[in-house]
Amino acid sequence: MTISFQINGQAKSMDIEDGNTPLLWVIRDMLNHKGTKFGCGKAACGACTLLIDGEAVRSCSYAVKFAAGKSITTIEGLGNKENPHPVQQAWIEEIVPQCGYCQPGFMMATAALLEKIPQPTDEDIDKNIINVCRCGTYYRMRKAIHKAAQIKAESIDPINS
Amino acid sequence: MKKRLHFSLLFLGLVIFGFGLASSTGYNTYYVSETDSVENASSSEAFDKMMQVLTHERCVNCHPNDNVPKQGADSHPHYFGITRGDENMGYQATNCATCHQSENNDYSGVPGAPEWSLAPDKMKWEGLSRVEIAKSMMDAERNGGRTPEETLHHLTEHELVLWAWNPGLDANGNLREVPPVPKDEYIAAVKEWFENGAVIPSE
Amino acid sequence: MSKTNKKGKKVSRRKFLVRGGLGTLGVLAVGTYLFRNPIRRNILAYANSMDMAYMGSGMEPMIWFEVTSDNQIILHSPKVEMGQGTFTGLAQMAADELDVSMNQIQIVHAQTDTGNIDTFSTGGSTSVAGLWQPLRELAATMREMIKVEGAKKLGVSVNEISSENAQLTAAGNSITYADAVKDVTEWEVPNTPPLRDLKEYKFIGKPIARIDLEAKVFGDPIFGLDAEMPDMLYGAVVRPDKIGATFVSSDTSAAESMPGVVQIIQEEDFVGVVARSYSEAENAKQAIKVDWSVERDWSSEEIQAILQVGEGNASLIQKEGSDIDDSSEVIEMEFSSPIGAHAQIEPNGVLAYVNGDKATIHISTQVVNLTRKEVAKRLGFDEVQVNIVPTYLGGGFGRRLHTPHAVQAAVMSRIVGKPVKYCFSRKEEFQHDMFRPPTHHVLKANLDESGMIKAIRHDFSSGDVAIDSPLLPGFVHSILGADVGAIRGGFCQYSAIPNIRTVSWHVELPFATSWWRSLGLLANTFAWESFMDELAVKSGKDPVSFRLAHIQDDEAGTRLKAVIQAAAVKANYTDEIVDGRAMGFAASTDAGTPCAQVAEVSLKNGKIKVHKVTCAMDPGVAVNPDQVKAQCEGSIIMGISASLFEKMEIRNSELSPTIYGPYQMALMKHAPKEIDVVLLQGIDKPGPVGEPPLGPIGAAIANAVYRLTGERLTAMPLQA
Repeated sequence: MTISFQINGQAKSMDIEDGNTPLLWVIRDMLNHKGTKFGCGKAACGACTLLIDGEAVRSCSYAVKFAAGKSITTIEGLGNKENPHPVQQAWIEEIVPQCGYCQPGFMMATAALLEKIPQPTDEDIDKNIINVCRCGTYYRMRKAIHKAAQIKAESIDPINS
Repeated sequence: MKKRLHFSLLFLGLVIFGFGLASSTGYNTYYVSETDSVENASSSEAFDKMMQVLTHERCVNCHPNDNVPKQGADSHPHYFGITRGDENMGYQATNCATCHQSENNDYSGVPGAPEWSLAPDKMKWEGLSRVEIAKSMMDAERNGGRTPEETLHHLTEHELVLWAWNPGLDANGNLREVPPVPKDEYIAAVKEWFENGAVIPSE
Repeated sequence: MSKTNKKGKKVSRRKFLVRGGLGTLGVLAVGTYLFRNPIRRNILAYANSMDMAYMGSGMEPMIWFEVTSDNQIILHSPKVEMGQGTFTGLAQMAADELDVSMNQIQIVHAQTDTGNIDTFSTGGSTSVAGLWQPLRELAATMREMIKVEGAKKLGVSVNEISSENAQLTAAGNSITYADAVKDVTEWEVPNTPPLRDLKEYKFIGKPIARIDLEAKVFGDPIFGLDAEMPDMLYGAVVRPDKIGATFVSSDTSAAESMPGVVQIIQEEDFVGVVARSYSEAENAKQAIKVDWSVERDWSSEEIQAILQVGEGNASLIQKEGSDIDDSSEVIEMEFSSPIGAHAQIEPNGVLAYVNGDKATIHISTQVVNLTRKEVAKRLGFDEVQVNIVPTYLGGGFGRRLHTPHAVQAAVMSRIVGKPVKYCFSRKEEFQHDMFRPPTHHVLKANLDESGMIKAIRHDFSSGDVAIDSPLLPGFVHSILGADVGAIRGGFCQYSAIPNIRTVSWHVELPFATSWWRSLGLLANTFAWESFMDELAVKSGKDPVSFRLAHIQDDEAGTRLKAVIQAAAVKANYTDEIVDGRAMGFAASTDAGTPCAQVAEVSLKNGKIKVHKVTCAMDPGVAVNPDQVKAQCEGSIIMGISASLFEKMEIRNSELSPTIYGPYQMALMKHAPKEIDVVLLQGIDKPGPVGEPPLGPIGAAIANAVYRLTGERLTAMPLQA
């Protein structure tokens, strides 16, 4: 079947034999965006988290057929080195990553959180950010999430927003 | 005797409330019976069949009494600290739909069905007896203001309910257990029970 | 510390080997022979400290540096980056002696083709410490070599040249390093220049941002599983659910006709499938039916029954004074820890391409050399026919010291004639991990009239850590009789106690156990430091002064005392319960690095909550203090996870859980909101960093819970 969607602002039409193929593998292996990670394949670790129409979704548990007509954002589309997303900027300022493997998933989940709750409390963070990090970067991540909220608030143009 | 009197008063309160509701929704087909005098064998059998399903973990896991969805045959609390949230859908950014879609996912073992969510706060079934569950589900105050017709519809046609017979593979690739009554038999039993006046037996 | 430390040996001029031109204009490659014969020292001290220098193969020239035409230095690292920050530390060390800025240096994993191969591993917290001397000497020598060439081009003498920011300047004229070395074919190699004083360094000792920070924040494809090759196929290998299962037969007929299947692979020791996509390979794998033979069923209880002090072989590994007098009043306690999983987030995986007589292996590995050896052996190749391309690791923690999957992928690739990528499922990760072994500890002590410890004895039993590991020569264990990994942290660090015995018991377990970050340290320290806390209570002393009173004033003792005092002061340590929170104290010495921690803990609905951890550590020179702190924070959180939640069970020979969640690990909400790290510098060189801070945390939490409840928690995972 042909499945069309937007990914990081670009329209894509994919020929997919099995519409139940997890979106994760379509993105990693067919579209070659490697920033979205495979950690467990069971929607348990959150390493594959990306945004679909702005909502955090674990792509290892999301059949590609459901992506038809939707807009997907991966870590590659969140921001770039010249123009980082506030979450990425905060991650840099707090020097969060260690091994780095789980980090895109956490950053995507955080980006979704800040859309819902622009100034999350520690409790909001504890409830919503439930991905798994083995290096134990949670301590810095929490600081970075608060910082990202601050950067995002400051970057909004008060006149045009 | 004292206990019975108490029950009747409560029932009266429900009926009054029910009439208030009836005027706005226009229902008058079914009446919730709170009596053990009109039971017949067939209705009782239908009730048994229905309740074998409704007390099964496939149903009760999503009707928790502590706002924590349950998982699995052992009804353990949902992993990762998931709770009801404001709209029965989990938390703001990480919610049911972060992992659960409108179909089961056999790759991940994550179950899915349309409108995947917890039953609303008032529909707490976990830990209730069969009779208590039946009362709860027929009580407009605790069933989301459903008329008996709407409750019948929920029980027999709602895709999320019928998912119980198509629960998919778990994370280890094993089929989840289905309720102990086949779907068709269950639906027939529910309809029969409603047609016979939705009689809830005494405990 | 051994006085004849090989790290002090200078890089010999005559062993400097230089090659010019790797096909790119202006490329300079510097190679050298480094140390041979790695283990020739007091073997027990080695076993305790794991104080290993960098071990080159000593056989081939190694490419360490390249100068590119755009004036960048590329450092080829024989150590891999798995999150521990080694790349950043190495780049700082090299940049400081090379006189280049941090944005003029890049670092890559050395492929084995470059010859720069570490014959041991990346592990044991030794990367920065082990390369401290040789890498700076190499960098300094190369700087001088560039100066010599620059002097020729500028027409001045070498002495007149100053170097900064990859630029040479003399008498008002400047030339870049790239221009200085362009077209050089014959190099002059000077004597190894003296290294600079610590105070002169611009980058060493500074909290420089991680060199891989941007790559990791913007999702660059840097990990093993991100590797790609044209025409790549996907493999999967069938593994049994039960421990001790051996292959009998398989039925692959259903799998053969599955969509996307390219070939079923039937080897003597594994059955697999190669398909067009990951999903198709996994689906086909599910359809392969394998008949496994299982000799007997195992359960957790049976494992616990054989893993007991008193079972198996005993080795006396520490002996001071006489043994404890059992006829006197003896305080005795028992402790235990469970089987733990590595649970690193990037599953083990590999991309292999066997093309004729050449094999290329992209892989997250901590044992580049061992991976190459094993692949070469299986393929019947010489090692030089196999190029290992190490990638960034999505977590190491010791899990990637075993890479038989590289062999399987290479075999599959050779059969299908195309590159094959394959990785473990999460269930396979959990069931076929090389686990942290379960342990059992018995501690005994008696006190004198003044409450000082007269004699102490620690007996512990552990599954294998290092025994049978292909990483270490067998003679290490035959000489020691003890497992060099399991004994980490098992020794008594309280050197003022006159009578000490430590005995390591070894039993064989029916499943694989191995290296897990900090090896025996976490469990041994949990037992030791819970017991010390109990002894302090029994002697009526506070846990800080009680510990200090049992430490001698030698170098190790002075450093240990300093971190104990620093942690107590920084945390405002008190035995009192304040606002429902109690403090717990613990300290450890691992591989020469002392660390003390104070955990602030409360109980809510019977659940242990860690609010704050204060950590004082003396890693010697902190090459990058920010990353040393990051290692402390990460170790503390990983230690909280292991201490409070993690546990593998065995039922009917099946290891479970097989997924995150059921295998409970610390999440954001479990991490302390405050982690306060104090770094001391008791020696003038870097020491191990990545594992030592994992020692005290379990005991610190348990000791805090004791203050809240009056009950000693003696089994991990801790449950109040």
